[in-house]
Amino acid sequence: MSDYLLTQVINYGAPLLGVILMLGGIGIPVPGTLLVIAAGAFVRQGYLTWHTTALISILLVVLGDNISYSIGYLAREKILLRFSHTQRWIESEKFFQKWGALSVFFTRFLITAIAIPVNLVAGTTRFPLNRFLLFDVLGEILWILGYGGLGYIFGSQWELVNDFISNFGGFALGIVLLVIGLRQAQAWQLKKQRLSN
Amino acid sequence: MSPDKTKPNYLFIALSILGALFMLFFGLRAFRAFKKFDGHRPPFPEHLQTDVNDIEDWMTIPFISHNYGVPPDVLFEALNISQKENHKKSLKQINDETFAGQDGYVLETVRQTILAHQPPAPLDSPNDAGAPLETPPPATP
Repeated sequence: MSDYLLTQVINYGAPLLGVILMLGGIGIPVPGTLLVIAAGAFVRQGYLTWHTTALISILLVVLGDNISYSIGYLAREKILLRFSHTQRWIESEKFFQKWGALSVFFTRFLITAIAIPVNLVAGTTRFPLNRFLLFDVLGEILWILGYGGLGYIFGSQWELVNDFISNFGGFALGIVLLVIGLRQAQAWQLKKQRLSN
Repeated sequence: MSPDKTKPNYLFIALSILGALFMLFFGLRAFRAFKKFDGHRPPFPEHLQTDVNDIEDWMTIPFISHNYGVPPDVLFEALNISQKENHKKSLKQINDETFAGQDGYVLETVRQTILAHQPPAPLDSPNDAGAPLETPPPATP
């Protein structure tokens, strides 16, 4: 699919790139990071203009993120019917109110694999829309300009840049999973000690 | 009945193991990509590309033409196909539709035609392929 989308981005330029990124924001699996890096290389080759491409991409990807936030927002009632009484739901809500801003920010460009679940949880837990929008826009600007900039700087080597960044994202996700797992294990250990005393 | 608080939560054990596996798997792949990147050729000059090995199947003829400074008519002529009907198609699509059964024919023909028709590179800008260009073979229409 990546090759097909690259061909179409060459043919139809920034508007199509923006639409693809918006679909990615809604939750449709598209190779967004690859296209952003490639777009940077196309800008260098004089095939796209950087300001139009960046502006359209940022606007549409933020729109996509807000659509998935809204889906979570609207689904709240149904989810509450099932989970509202559980301790885990209350803890999740508290966790997101505390760490939501950072989660939104870092999943825009670093741990992109969990960006959609974060958008949905943000909406479901009624994370304030203005804060969501602020950190979403900041993260997406960094994603588009930062990764697009790498594509621009490294030109024809953009595929290697993408290879590195994609794998680094997986590595970062591994760190997050490990930290959460270890913290919970530590909390369980403390609880066990308390109960035995 | 409330769950036993002293029992380990297997979800978090699984999460830790998964995290460690992710770190190992993607860390090694990222490292390998970085090493490859480190020893790779320098980026191409500001305007024209010269290394025909950078041409890929997903590219279109107008895009290649723009990057390598060879008019699109020359490339369409070399392939003996109509520009109007094929200018938005990738090399792979052209190959599949027009030269079925001849794998890689379009890519190879485009590469050879570029080598034969590319404008000479300025003396002070080295060939970004990092290797000398071969003697251009004749274009095969």
